[in-house]
Amino acid sequence: MTSRIPTDLLGGSWYIFQRYSPLFWYGVRNTLIISLTATVIGLFIGLLVASVKTSKISPKDSFFAKGVKKFFWLLSSIYIEGFRGTPMIVQAVFLYHGLRPYLQWTPLSAGIVIVSVNTGAYMAEIIRAGIQSIDDGQYEAARSLGMSTWTTNRKIIFPQAIRNAFPAIGNEFVVNIKDTSVLNVIGVTELYFQSASVAGIVFRFRDTFFVTAVIYLFLTFTITRILRVIELKMDSPAGFGLASSSMPNSFSFLKKKGGQS
Amino acid sequence: MSFIEIKNLNKSFGDQLVLKDIELSIDQKEVVALIGSSGSGKSTLLRCLNLLETPSAGQIIVDGQNITTENFNINHYRSQVGMIFQSFNLFNHLSVLENCMIGQKEVLKKSSKEAKETAISFLEKVGMSDFANASVKKLSGGQKQRVAIARALCMQPKILLLDEPTSALDPEMVGEVLEVIKNLAKEGLTMVIVTHEMSFARDVADRVVFMDQGVVCEEGDPQTMFTQPKHPRTQAFLSRVLR
Repeated sequence: MTSRIPTDLLGGSWYIFQRYSPLFWYGVRNTLIISLTATVIGLFIGLLVASVKTSKISPKDSFFAKGVKKFFWLLSSIYIEGFRGTPMIVQAVFLYHGLRPYLQWTPLSAGIVIVSVNTGAYMAEIIRAGIQSIDDGQYEAARSLGMSTWTTNRKIIFPQAIRNAFPAIGNEFVVNIKDTSVLNVIGVTELYFQSASVAGIVFRFRDTFFVTAVIYLFLTFTITRILRVIELKMDSPAGFGLASSSMPNSFSFLKKKGGQS
Repeated sequence: MSFIEIKNLNKSFGDQLVLKDIELSIDQKEVVALIGSSGSGKSTLLRCLNLLETPSAGQIIVDGQNITTENFNINHYRSQVGMIFQSFNLFNHLSVLENCMIGQKEVLKKSSKEAKETAISFLEKVGMSDFANASVKKLSGGQKQRVAIARALCMQPKILLLDEPTSALDPEMVGEVLEVIKNLAKEGLTMVIVTHEMSFARDVADRVVFMDQGVVCEEGDPQTMFTQPKHPRTQAFLSRVLR
């Protein structure tokens, strides 16, 4: 069978793509599921960790509250340093095998968790920078209306921090599409794993991975364009500018109830 | 007993004592202007009144309640005390209308419909109802400050604190904002205003308090304060600004 594959790069690639497209698409599906889910979960982890890292210890706090804040601050720092300071491929192998006896998880669910937690560490720093870019006056104005810290964060600080950090957040999604490829080491059937399987069948590594590269490029390019359009829409007068109701639509997953007002 | 009683109030930032044994009482419906050179502690005093700064020592008693106690419900208290900032501090991601609604909805737990009605009525009052759906980013400084006033009024506060409300404005915008504040004063809202506009302080205030280096130097009705100041430091300050 392998003898029927054209020998040139383009011909061979095209043949392999046509012949094995279901395998590739299955990989693309898993790659997208993992990277999208993990980016969203990572964003929430990032918000949580960033709000711990940016919370101030006020002199009015009780001794106990100060202790709790310091503890969580330390925990967040360890988390961020730990996950940003080690390769995701190492985290994947270590966590998947380390926790398998207790969780009995599938490679796919392990993959989602690992990429989420890894992304969360990067998101925390992105969101923290986003929060710190917001003028203190926004916080003071919200507090002077009587809002609690949590309401202030949820309604005033986070929406603006996410808006400011949107390009970096979108970039994390693009990075995740590429970086999920390391999950092949724990047997997640994402695009790289599927490609390796196809290459094993046809025994044409060059041509198979050319197909893979083109698919990755297509995914990242398309998503970069889509993110750019969303970003421009938020900046345009008809979008973010005129009334906020159009801004949260882009982040509908962040809203508890549908569009208000 | 007065509506607001400030007793022995001290505030320090690190080693620096910025308020020293402040004693001041303010009656209901009184308009008090705090004047003094920059660094005199007048903004810090104002910020202590809604606990944006935590006093280091002393007491502030508002409407019979000591707001400086440990377990005081700060958020509830702040919802009754409006604050106007020098730099407006409107919420940049919200429209004019939403700026005026968010406090009512999130803090006073009003329905959207009710919050909207209140917001529109106060925006009308400050002459900004035509801009209800506009982005706050597109407003001029004077318009922003008027929206900020409407936002504070929407909470129907018992006290309004104004921290140099016109200092960040272009000269031609100052008038429109002062006009709005004057009207509020006439309606009998308790107000404490930190200001550098001496003529405005004279027109609108029932009492003028001069602060210098963290202490209340002199206080009195505007007429006496501006024409016959007693304290040499008040005299020096006024001769500098009233030229």
